Amino acid sequence: MNRTLFVFLAIMVMAVVTYLIRLFPFLVFGRSEKPPEMVLYIGRVISPAAIAMLVIYCVKQVNVTAFPFGVPELIASAVVVLLHSWKGNPLLSILAGTAVYMLLVQKLFV
Amino acid sequence: MMSRKVFKEAFVCSLPVMMGYLSMGAAFGILLTANTGLNPLWSLLMSLTILSGSLQFAAVDMIAGSLSLLEIGILTLFINFRYSMYGLSLIRRFREAGPRRWYLIFALTDETYALLLKDRPGAGPGDSDNFMLTLAALNHSYWVVGCVTGSIAGKLLQFNTRGIDFSMTALFLVILTDQCREIRNRIPALIGGAATLLCRVLFGPDNMLIPAMALILIGVLAFRRKLDPPEAERGGDRR
Repeated sequence: MNRTLFVFLAIMVMAVVTYLIRLFPFLVFGRSEKPPEMVLYIGRVISPAAIAMLVIYCVKQVNVTAFPFGVPELIASAVVVLLHSWKGNPLLSILAGTAVYMLLVQKLFV
Repeated sequence: MMSRKVFKEAFVCSLPVMMGYLSMGAAFGILLTANTGLNPLWSLLMSLTILSGSLQFAAVDMIAGSLSLLEIGILTLFINFRYSMYGLSLIRRFREAGPRRWYLIFALTDETYALLLKDRPGAGPGDSDNFMLTLAALNHSYWVVGCVTGSIAGKLLQFNTRGIDFSMTALFLVILTDQCREIRNRIPALIGGAATLLCRVLFGPDNMLIPAMALILIGVLAFRRKLDPPEAERGGDRR
């Protein structure tokens, strides 16, 4: 499969699956029916678990046994979490963390 | 026929989302260009058809990477499962909206959902559908404009972008920090992080996601008794 076709199909898969997820309760549960407790439970807990998974996934290429040992990721992550706990401004936290990270990998840990 | 009053109300209501979507969309566009080199038309297609911030950020990696279409589908289900919970509280309201509900359902993002839950003091009878539709379409348009503008800017930017992909990590850390303000989210987050870390060590960076998702499901089901106390103890937590 060539790359353009793959990218197109990947986007379509994501779009269709996302729409089906959004559609699901409207198709399956009527006015009075209550969804199974199991589905409600998974719905409540899956979001933080999935986001934590994505955080780890984002740093999957880090090698802690070789220079720079994941130190730039650690520092920049601390900046994001501390700044966000303090100010609660998503854009500020993301910009500051990314700027710190870029500075570290371009100038300091080279 | 939509009244100016309803449009104005929806527009004012959408202003905070406008700021967020334009800037986060732009961040996505810049990242997409820097990491994949795809042109702004792809950004347009993604923002028009997917309309999901966290998935689109994750998609930057999925598109460039080694995943199969099936894995991308499973991952999408996992990342966006929460949307199916949003619909539960809107079934009745959307049913009254007639055929427009198919778009309202499509456009149900975290932010639009939050705005739809807010009370509308002084709302006239019968204009609820117009209000919801206008609000959803405005938010959708902010996201599209943000993503495409970011992609175009990404093409024009001429500086060393090494490290800019950390913006994706930062976005997820911000969402996670917000979620962990609520105590009930902390154990699920811990399960998600620990399971993924374990799978990274066991299976390596290219094959970690499917086992991680399986392990997370097993983990949250194993902790169900602790995380999901009986109805009476939960209080006002339910939507």
